[in-house]
Parts: sequence; structure tokens; C-alpha cells
Amino acid sequence: MMPSRARTASAKSRGRGSESRLAYLFLAPMLAIFVGFYVWPALATLSSSFFTWGMLNPWRVDRPDLWVSAGVSNYTTTLTSADFWNAGLNTAVWLFVFPVLVVTISLALSLLMWEAKRGAGFFRSAIIVPMTISLAAVGVIWGFVYNPNPDKGLLNAGLRLIGVGNADLTLGPLELHLGRWLSNPGVLHIGGLDVRLTNIMIIIPAVWAFVGFGVITFTAGLTSVPAELLEAARVDGASRWQTIRHVTLPSLRPSVIVVVVISVIFALRTFDIVFVTTGGGPAQDTEVLGLLLWQQAFQFLDSPRAGQAAAIAIIMSVVLIAGAMPFLRKNGASS
Amino acid sequence: MRSQWRTLALYAVLTLVSIVWIVPVLGAAAIAILPLDQSTKGWWRADASTATLANFRRVWEGGLSGYALNSLIIAVLSVLITLAVGTLAAYAIARMRFRFRTIVQVMLLTTMIVPVQIILIPLIPWFRTLGLNSGSWQYLGIALVHTAFGAGWAIFMLSSFFEAIPNELIEAAKLDGASSLKTFTTIALPLAIPGIVSFVIIDFVFVWNDLLMGLTLLDADHRPMTVGLANLNAPQLNQDDLISAGSILAILPPLLLFALLNRYYVRGLFAGAVKG
Repeated sequence: MMPSRARTASAKSRGRGSESRLAYLFLAPMLAIFVGFYVWPALATLSSSFFTWGMLNPWRVDRPDLWVSAGVSNYTTTLTSADFWNAGLNTAVWLFVFPVLVVTISLALSLLMWEAKRGAGFFRSAIIVPMTISLAAVGVIWGFVYNPNPDKGLLNAGLRLIGVGNADLTLGPLELHLGRWLSNPGVLHIGGLDVRLTNIMIIIPAVWAFVGFGVITFTAGLTSVPAELLEAARVDGASRWQTIRHVTLPSLRPSVIVVVVISVIFALRTFDIVFVTTGGGPAQDTEVLGLLLWQQAFQFLDSPRAGQAAAIAIIMSVVLIAGAMPFLRKNGASS
Repeated sequence: MRSQWRTLALYAVLTLVSIVWIVPVLGAAAIAILPLDQSTKGWWRADASTATLANFRRVWEGGLSGYALNSLIIAVLSVLITLAVGTLAAYAIARMRFRFRTIVQVMLLTTMIVPVQIILIPLIPWFRTLGLNSGSWQYLGIALVHTAFGAGWAIFMLSSFFEAIPNELIEAAKLDGASSLKTFTTIALPLAIPGIVSFVIIDFVFVWNDLLMGLTLLDADHRPMTVGLANLNAPQLNQDDLISAGSILAILPPLLLFALLNRYYVRGLFAGAVKG
């Protein structure tokens, strides 16, 4: 049916109207799935965030007789709860530390590999391999590295080798407990805030897995640095560092933006690796918003807190869309 | 002289970093092939002659094979559906002019940004309404969610491959009287195949590695390998041998795809990177 219709359409006229119709025909299957399994559930999350309900008796659009209105109380309860701000602080640590580490490490490595030329492919492969590993498996694999028993965990074996063992250190505002990587590695006191370093210990494996993406993106960026500029810098007698600082890095700006945006998105979604390594603990030291929301909706099915979970989802999405809008707009306009 | 030292330092740093990057995986692999009484002494000190595949057999027969099958079905189904509807949509966006083009594109691209968590909660009652919550229908349900949530990525990648096709080829086909669908299937699709291969690999790895959706939307008999791995990972059970063997088995398919089709994998990400 579709081919004959398309043929007559293109045979009759190549006018704008028929091309439009054809485009929508091509788009229809994707849009149907998109509306059914993304737009509709997202709208349901939004509307259900104004009602009180739990997973045992889910909020349903077709049963208004069962609705228990909550007004904006799911939002006010969420925004005034200590759990939310604790998870929010941990997510903020992710949002800051993760992109910074990913960008600096992958940028440094890309520049080094660029300098190396010969053998760069081998080194690049070693860095990219962890990218293919699921974060659930990354958590498991790093669980072995972090094992507190110095007979099993590589890090503590290293500490024992240099004779440090489980030392406690205090460096200004930084309190460190070496050897207890996932239970209590330390605290950073900034003013009245206590930032638990356990988050950093979970961020590190995620960075390890993600740096490959940065390296690929920066390598692509490096190939597009104009050769004339590099040549001009060489002729002017610029040192290698000056060339990198004044020619290479400025040309890499678009790549840096891509890596920052994608790693910020990734950091806000964080769920898998926390779920597998610590489950948000000890206490709630590594609880992040993506996990808190899931626990509120699904861990205690009989609790009527799914509305609050929906409110958290909406708050997260609003923050992300607001932050990413400039990037989206640029992308939509450029192609 | 100075530049020689520089080169030496450069390669030393790169070698060191590569080792740091590989060691965690090597450690897990070593624990996986050692009997438990060897690996608990430290895998780096173990007697290599005790290496065995027994752990893999035990974890596979102990239930991981079921999870692996689920992962395979979910990943293949998701990739097929995404490819079928994604290539059509990406072609329309890359090659056709229509009124709401930018809006449609931006809407689809939001799936790359918004956290999955925003759709998760209502999906459970929604699956029940649609009858996608029981038996093998769950595979279709989660595949459709993966398709919807992969829409942005599919459009982002695939449309850049369709845009790269020279205009003359498309116009020539049209002048020969080929319909748009025919132009799409006989000219555009074959030319985009390298790009499509890249997309298939990346989408497969992405779906294979999902934990959150599989954990939330499926019942215990249909959950993927990532969930199986999370269930194994209970430190108090002292089963490092099984956990490590399970993790190696779970990372093997994406790793093999990467090893065999490295070029396509990297090119796919390049395409995304360059376009951004």
C-alpha cells in the first residue's frame, strides 16, 4: 500500500505538500512508539505527581474516581525533606566531579596519544575497552579492586606493601581513612557542608569507563585542527606547549562542550553503579536522586510515595532540560 | 637528546596509564579462572596451574544462562525495531523538507537528555493496560521502551549518515522515476550501511548494558544479565568466584563486538562527536 501511494505522490508533483505527507509517513512508526512509550508516560509522570498514590494502586488517568489529590504537596514535601537534599548534594558532587575528571583525563590522554603517533591505536584501544562494559559490571569489577581485605583487594595490598595499612590522615579540611574505600574513605569539610568521599570512590570507576568516550571525541576534534594554524605556530617559533595552549585547545572547544554536556547528562541519570556497589549506603552517604526516586517508588510497594518519586523525576528533568536547552537548540538549527 | 627523553617519558606515561586501565578487568578475569581458595590469597599471587573454567560452568548452570538468553532477546529485538523505524525517520529528517521538521527533531533529541527515570513509574500500569506485562510480551514491551528512549540517539547518528549521501545520487534516482520508498531502500540504505553497522553495535551495547529498565519493568523470569549480576553481587556470600565469572561472561558479547568491529564502533561515536 505504501509504495504505490508514494509512487503516485512523487509522480504527480514534487511539490512541498506531497513531500510533507511522505515525510510524515516515514516518521509515523517512530513517532507512534515515541508518543506511546515516551511522551505519554512522561505526561503521566507529570500529572501523577499532583496525586497521592503507591505502586500497589497506581494512579490511572481513566479512573478519576480513585484520584487522591495532593496539590503541590509532593513537591513541597520533597523540597523540604532531608533525604532529598542529601541525595541532591551527592548528585551535585557527581555533576561537578564526574565531568571535570572525564574532561581533564581524556583531554590529557588524547594530547599525549596525539604526540605519540606511533602506537597510539594500541593505547587508545586500552582506554576505550572499558566503555563497552555495563556500569553494573564496572561496579562488580571495581568491587574487587576496592576489597578491604589486603589479601583480596589490589589497592589495600598496595597500601600494605608500602607499609601504610589503614591509616587515618587529616589534611586541613580533608579527613582521609585509607583502606576503607567503600565504607568510609573520608570526609571533606567545606564550611558547614560535609562531603562524603565515598561518592568519589564510586565516581572513579565511572570515569574509568567513560574516559574512552572523551578520548574518541577529542581525537576526532584534534584531526580537525587546521593544519595551517599549526604550521604558522611552528614557523613563528612557538614551543610545543604554547602551540597546544593557543592553537590546539581553542580549536577543541566544541569537543569539550560535547564531552561536558554528555557527561553531565550521564552524571544526573546515575543509578546502575550506585545500585550495584553500595545501594546508596553506608547510611545514605552515596544516595543519588536517580536512586532515591527508584527506592521511593519501587522498594516499598505499599508506601504511597510514588507521587513524590514522580515529583523528583520532574524536578530532575526540569533541571536537565533547562541546562541542556542551548545545546539542543544549536543542534536542531545546525542540521 | 632532549626530544629522545621526551619521547621516552611520553611512552612511559602512556604505558602506565594503559596498564592502570586494563588491570581491573584483568583482576576480575583472574579471579574468574581461579578456584576460590587461590583467589582469596590474592589473584596476583595465585598458582597459575590451578586455572580452571569451572567457575564459568557453575555460574552459567546456576541460572546465568537464563539471564543471558533474556539479554540477547531484548537486545536483538530492540535493535531490530529501532533500526526499522529509526532509519525511516532519520531519512525523512535528513532528506525531506516538511513543516514541523525542527520541532520533531528537537522533540526526538530530548530523549538523549531527559533521565529515563521520568517515564519509569507510569510504565508499569501502562504495560498492564496494554497486556505487555506478562510472559514473552514483556520482551516486546521493554524493546519498545528502548526504541522510544533510543530515538534521539538513532536520529542523531543515522541522519548524519543519510546527510552524507551525495545529493546527485538521490536526484538521479528520482529522475529515473523511482518512488521515494524505492530510492530509500535501493539507494540510501545500501550507501548508509557502514553507518548502520556502527549504529547497530552501539545500540546493541547500550541495550545489553541496561540495568534500570530491566530491573523495573520485567518479572524475575525475564530480567537481563545486568540484573543477574547485581543479584550475584552480595559480598557476605563469599562467592567472588561466581561474581567474577558472571561479570566476565556479561561483558564478553560487547567486548567481542568491539574487538571484531572496532573500526565501526569508533566511527559511529566519531560521527556523533563531529556532528555535535
